Amino acid sequence: MLDAYIGLLIFWPLVAGLACLVLKSPGVRSALVLSTGAALAVGALGVASQAPLTTSPGFLSSELALHIAEGAAFALPAYFLIRGLMEKHVLVILFALAQLGLAAAGVLAVPAAAPAQAAVFCDGLSLALVLVVSLAGSLICIYALPYMKHHEEHLHLKVSRQPGFFLVLLAFLGFMNGLALSNDLRIFAAFYEATTLCSFLLIGHDGTADAKKSAMRALWMNCMGGVFLHAGIILIQKQFGLADIHEIVTPALWTGVSMLPIALLALAGCVKAAQLPFQGWLLGAMVAPTPVSALLHSSTMVKVGVFVCLRLGPVLEGTTTGRILALAGAFTFFATSALSLGQSNAKKILAYSTSANLGLIIACAGIGTPVALSAGLVLFVIHAATKGLLFLCVGDLEQTVGSRDLEDLRGAIAKNPVTSLAAAAGAMAMILPPLGMLVGKWAALEAAAANPAVMVLIAVGSALAVVCWVRFAGTLMSGKSIEGPRAHVSSLTSTPILAMLAGAVGLGMAAPWINALMLGTGPASVLASGWGLLPGLFVVAMLAWIIGMKVLGRQSTVTLATPYIGGLPSREAGSYVGPLGRNWTLSEGNEYASELFGESKLTKVAGVFAVLCLLALLGGTLI
Amino acid sequence: MSFLNTSQIKSPWLMHFDCGSCNGCDIETLACLTPVYDVERFGIINVGNPRHADVLVVTGTVNPRNAVVLKNLYDQMPSPKLVIAVGACGCSGGVFREAPNVLGGVDKVIPVDVYVPGCPAKPEAIMDAVVTGLGKLKGILEGSK
Amino acid sequence: MNLTTFYLAVAGLILAPLLGGFVAGLDRVVTARLQSRMGPPLLQPFYDVGKLMSKVIAPASHWQGMFVRWALVASLASDVLLAAGADVLMCFFVQAASASFVALGAFCGNSPYSKIGAQRELFQLMSYEPVFLVAIVCMAKAAGGFDAYTIMAAQSQPLLFKLPLLVPGLIFVVLVKLRKSPFDIAASHHMHQEVVRGVYTDYAGRDFALLEIAHWADVTVVLWICSFLWATGPLQMLATGLVTLLVALVIDNISARLTWRHMVKVVAPISLVLATANLVWLYLE
Repeated sequence: MLDAYIGLLIFWPLVAGLACLVLKSPGVRSALVLSTGAALAVGALGVASQAPLTTSPGFLSSELALHIAEGAAFALPAYFLIRGLMEKHVLVILFALAQLGLAAAGVLAVPAAAPAQAAVFCDGLSLALVLVVSLAGSLICIYALPYMKHHEEHLHLKVSRQPGFFLVLLAFLGFMNGLALSNDLRIFAAFYEATTLCSFLLIGHDGTADAKKSAMRALWMNCMGGVFLHAGIILIQKQFGLADIHEIVTPALWTGVSMLPIALLALAGCVKAAQLPFQGWLLGAMVAPTPVSALLHSSTMVKVGVFVCLRLGPVLEGTTTGRILALAGAFTFFATSALSLGQSNAKKILAYSTSANLGLIIACAGIGTPVALSAGLVLFVIHAATKGLLFLCVGDLEQTVGSRDLEDLRGAIAKNPVTSLAAAAGAMAMILPPLGMLVGKWAALEAAAANPAVMVLIAVGSALAVVCWVRFAGTLMSGKSIEGPRAHVSSLTSTPILAMLAGAVGLGMAAPWINALMLGTGPASVLASGWGLLPGLFVVAMLAWIIGMKVLGRQSTVTLATPYIGGLPSREAGSYVGPLGRNWTLSEGNEYASELFGESKLTKVAGVFAVLCLLALLGGTLI
Repeated sequence: MSFLNTSQIKSPWLMHFDCGSCNGCDIETLACLTPVYDVERFGIINVGNPRHADVLVVTGTVNPRNAVVLKNLYDQMPSPKLVIAVGACGCSGGVFREAPNVLGGVDKVIPVDVYVPGCPAKPEAIMDAVVTGLGKLKGILEGSK
Repeated sequence: MNLTTFYLAVAGLILAPLLGGFVAGLDRVVTARLQSRMGPPLLQPFYDVGKLMSKVIAPASHWQGMFVRWALVASLASDVLLAAGADVLMCFFVQAASASFVALGAFCGNSPYSKIGAQRELFQLMSYEPVFLVAIVCMAKAAGGFDAYTIMAAQSQPLLFKLPLLVPGLIFVVLVKLRKSPFDIAASHHMHQEVVRGVYTDYAGRDFALLEIAHWADVTVVLWICSFLWATGPLQMLATGLVTLLVALVIDNISARLTWRHMVKVVAPISLVLATANLVWLYLE
């Protein structure tokens, strides 16, 4: 039965994706996507009911599976090389060749590793990723149905490219599930490369010059990540002859041995998670349609990077490598939060914020204590829900308003109240107690007690994040009355958005239990040491919610006062009656303080420091 | 009197608007805020925001241009409110009342509760006006129970 | 949670805003005496709030009432958390939530002064929050735990002797939270009216009264945390709080307002560096 669930999780999306490619009717496509959602939910809950578990389903443990994985280690870089040659992109060619070289070395120069003891090992961390992919991922695919229809209408496409789009989108879900569950490092690497492929194809989907350029950039950076990954795998294979992930991450194995392979794996994770100085590919990936950004570049694919780092957590605990990784992660959290403040492009704000929060999770992974790792897991799960929500909302607002610049989204609440309010709620969910993201930051801060530099960076980064999100929510809710010409929002758009919002809030409420689950402590200590505050704070929050809604109800029916504009009368919102008795419009803009937070200058400075950190990471293992 | 009513008497926040005065009365009004006269003893604060103000102190003559602003400020103040017209210009237009652009005193636009004559009016007289106005307010509050 | 904690929590809920009100009254009387004037009666802030409560005025936006109530609940919750001896970091985050709600409500209106105030309030948040966070972390490190009772109890020797470099940072935080020169940048404390009333421009009547009460609760929390520096006994804590207040008042009276750029570029980094230096020194010991 368990094998059936796992098979469902990995293969149903692939089959459904192929069916989408072949059967091009929109109705069938919707049915396929919805059925995938249902199947993934069933599979995920089935696995969850029996977790933690180890098992060896035939399709993952057989010789054929290993051969396919090894073949993929050649085939996928070969495809990347071909694409690089087609576009004459030097870096892609370079890194694809390097990957091919490493794949060859892995087969020829290094003795084969022992097969993994169990093909599937599902603990709290794997389960978290599976649930995120299956539940959040399905919601995003459902959201993509009306979104892509509208997107193609907007682009006046004659031939729909949705079949290919949904093939890659759904197949990606299957690959992610495989990656989360597999215990064999070679199969894991194959799925990792497959996600790079999906990302490349989806970023370049629109086919514009921008899209192609961004896709190439994502490709070379992720190929570089692949080089790090494979180098690490080969070193482990050579040193220990192991490919079983669960065995590799036992701290006892690494005492007195150079941590270089671990550092390389962590570095691969950092590239995938768009940490400094690798954040460029994520920024460029924002040209893709919103479901791609929501699915790959906030909720799931970038989570592969932090998944790797969290998995390495027990090995990193108390080591210099771990400390430097924690510093690198915390520095990314601080610097990308600062970068997000200088941005007015809404999707770029979200991208920088994603990179920041992933940096925070990597900092937790670097610290490596059980307390830190469970704080990281809480952040992992809740960030997926909250950031996914924000991307979905921004995508919908972009289609309603016609622009993704925050200045153009000002007052969007008048045009699209449901989505704007969901976006504002999501923005506040990123920073408010007692909701999950703040709780995760608080737990991370307390877990970093041994590392003052990390604590200070987290403190500053968290203050910068507050400014970013309050400004975001405030701009959306700005200045118009609740009445206004409303945009029509399809239920296939609003249901995923509201479901994600409910998920974000619900997971926040469940944070103490998620934390206890990861720590493996019994039910008695769920509410120990500060976590006990949270249910009380939630009760207070609900009380405040009720009071607030009552007042909102009362105040939404009254006529608003005219705004104070130096005493001048105002006939309509945003304008005043001034000289010559005429109506003069007020123009408004956020203060982005570009002399402090300007992208170009800050990227250079932060990038230099980040490179130094990562060189120290590698160098520290060689000494 | 109830605490809320007492509070309204003990915490009159003042907004000062100069319609078109020569600034003589304005200087005297602001002198009230200085340590020599110290209106804060009465709980008076000078606020710039009509939404926070209880008492509107107006100086200067009213002309069509500033009548609009004066009316708007008065409307933006929450009730119950007091208006004090300071100086000869504010009371009736003063020496300028025959001028072509002058409408007259403040009471041409908004209802005035206390008139303070003088050119310029003395700070003591202005403070006395505020206290008189508060007495009037007290009467209204007691009467409306 | 036992009964004593519950009683303390309730006491905190009721007494903390009142204490904050008295602090506000003391603030105005002492300021007046520093300026050679008599000043208002000590209970003036209570009369002010009573007056504002009885004013009827249309709101500037449909959302501001909701945000005001949320800000008030958050401020009172941060007081209750401190009184019940809970995690001081969480108390800080809850108070920061209150400040976020005030700024959000100011964004929702239509007055340009309110909007400017909201933008400036965000820069103030950005400036004082890291310093305050690092200060709390320092206190926790020096005292051996994050919850308030541990910090108040670990008092063979006042924490001030281990945390001298925190003083400039904490004075900065107190000036920002009390909205005093040179850092009343976002709300143009009365008399100075540069952006009318900044972030508070749109709030009026009952909403403004509730925000005043939330402000009192905030002030109590900040001064209480400052008093952790010399927490050898309740009277000493009270004295430390009052001394901090007095220092803030003196600085208020002798300085003009700084620009937000100066605050973000100069004052915040310097206080943060000093606080971080103190933290690192604690670790190296």
